[in-house]
Amino acid sequence: MTSIQDRNDSVIIPNSTKPSSELLPIDLPDSAAQIWLYSGIFWMSVTMLIGVVEAVKLFYPEFLQGIPALAYGRLRPVHINIGLFGFMSMGYLGATFYMVPRLTQTPLFSERLGSLTAWFWNFNLLAGCLGIMMGFSKGKEYTEIPFPFDMTIGILVIAIAGNLFSTITLRQERRVYVSLWYILLAIIPFPIYYTLGNASKFSGIEDAIINWFYSHNLFGIWLTTLGLATLYYIVPKQVNKPLYSHIISFVGFWTLAAFYPWNGGHHVIWGPVPMWVMTASVTASIAMFIPTCATMINFGGTAWGTWEIMKRDIGYRFSLLAYVCYVGASLWGTVLAVMSLNAKLHFTNMTIAHVHLGFLGFGVPGVIAFTYFYLERSLKLKYSRNLAEWHFWLTMLGIFGYVVSMGISGWMEGSAWEAGSSPQGTMLDKYPYHVARAISGLIVLVGQFLFVGNVYKTVNYPIDLPAKSGVTL
Amino acid sequence: MRYISVFPIVVILSILFGSAFTGLVIAPGVASDIVRSPSVGLVAYSPTEAKGRKIYAREGCVYCHSQQVRNVKADENLVAAFGVSKAGDYFYDLPHFLGTSRQGPDLSNEGRVWRREIGAPARDYLIGHFINPRQYNPNSIMPAFDYLSTQELSDLTDYIQSLGAWKDSIKVAEASL
Repeated sequence: MTSIQDRNDSVIIPNSTKPSSELLPIDLPDSAAQIWLYSGIFWMSVTMLIGVVEAVKLFYPEFLQGIPALAYGRLRPVHINIGLFGFMSMGYLGATFYMVPRLTQTPLFSERLGSLTAWFWNFNLLAGCLGIMMGFSKGKEYTEIPFPFDMTIGILVIAIAGNLFSTITLRQERRVYVSLWYILLAIIPFPIYYTLGNASKFSGIEDAIINWFYSHNLFGIWLTTLGLATLYYIVPKQVNKPLYSHIISFVGFWTLAAFYPWNGGHHVIWGPVPMWVMTASVTASIAMFIPTCATMINFGGTAWGTWEIMKRDIGYRFSLLAYVCYVGASLWGTVLAVMSLNAKLHFTNMTIAHVHLGFLGFGVPGVIAFTYFYLERSLKLKYSRNLAEWHFWLTMLGIFGYVVSMGISGWMEGSAWEAGSSPQGTMLDKYPYHVARAISGLIVLVGQFLFVGNVYKTVNYPIDLPAKSGVTL
Repeated sequence: MRYISVFPIVVILSILFGSAFTGLVIAPGVASDIVRSPSVGLVAYSPTEAKGRKIYAREGCVYCHSQQVRNVKADENLVAAFGVSKAGDYFYDLPHFLGTSRQGPDLSNEGRVWRREIGAPARDYLIGHFINPRQYNPNSIMPAFDYLSTQELSDLTDYIQSLGAWKDSIKVAEASL
């Protein structure tokens, strides 16, 4: 029996009997994975850039004032939608299109379909975001992308899910590794809640409950699952030993699948919703402690005693950063759902700190870890070690600065409001933290530009790794 | 590890997701009266208010302004002045503007602060504040909506003045009985 870390990283070339003249570039193995991944990295830089602009606007509102398309209220949904559908969806789908053929030992059902959906997704997202900037936002959080571009995303996900699901059904390797479980959870319910969230015409509180049901599923069982699938795949290969425990990953997966879809209602704790909606969601949010702990123990156990690998493999370091931030963001989410703490911290910058620990701390390093893994292990290319070191430390510093500044600011706001102050009253106190946040964001952005340059140079001006040096990577 | 078929995984995942779907999507609409009926005295938006509401959505006001007063210590002053928000208050809201963040103040009762009865001074304040918030509050970080047309500013003001205003009308009606 071969464990995950021993499985071959190469993939069978499809249609190898056909003459090569019939193969378009987008039919080559991994072409879909590449387009998704590189697009994800592109959108990651864009959303960070927009994030920094917004952060500046929050302490210096005259910044870029007078251009309606760049007004704060229009840039913020663009930042979020590019973060969700551009960087995280695309980056992790790149990882998924890479993992699925390898885990199933089967060529992708259709490499051409995978590549075309990626290109279509890019242009569709661009059009949707320009729509928001031009004032066509649907106005509800996470569903801002206007018609028809919102529905196109749903149709594209069905095409992507069909492509991946067909590959899994036709698989040669009968055993289903834990990453594939997470991918199944990501691709099966998405069209249901996505359509519900974007096309439903309920009003009032029902609209709010459904909005949060949809959006929390988007983070919980679309982005988190794809992210965890990626980590479950690359970490055992990076440390070159099997996963700590398959039983624990089994427990972690099924408790996550059982509790996460119930989390949505925790956005309206103390809000004007029926008590049982709150109770169910608070219970489920606190129960998320179980899958979080399972992941913590599993990756912790796998990573135990890998200090040497951590020192030399920057991709692995990013995996660990993603892992630590995932556990931190999840536990933090559980704590914020405790009703007494939610009463104080809801509506404050604490929410923003929590979200960014998830996206900036888990999402970003996860995609980066996969990218370094892909360059080194699959393309067998050598990237600039210096730039990567800088990238790691800048990213780490930026995440730390962001989360700490917003966390303190959120706690201060909550305390001030409980003491009788109002949001206007805390404006001056928040100023230094807003500045610190913008600086932290800028640090992450600089690191990101180094990364993009590094990847570009590595792929376009390749330096091959010394042959057969796989073990020392 | 023994071979596990994909089919049972798909079935169990569907059941787990389906139960949450039933609990959070179907049940609130079917099983709960408070979700599906308007508060007593709630009035629907007039055409200009509805237009103003669209501008509120388009300009992303909801990202910094909640419309929700909770029965908690942090909202103590709002509760004392305006009371707690109820599900029926949002009956005509599509999309909802409950909000997730308060970079600025809660607006669910703004129409009771800048009441229509005040007349021109209230409207002038609101419109002037949209155009240049820092003229009124130097510490404000609200964007300047100086690019909106006069008509748009007027519609948006109508909408802001409608927020919670109906609650005062009930009080007046009750008092006159």
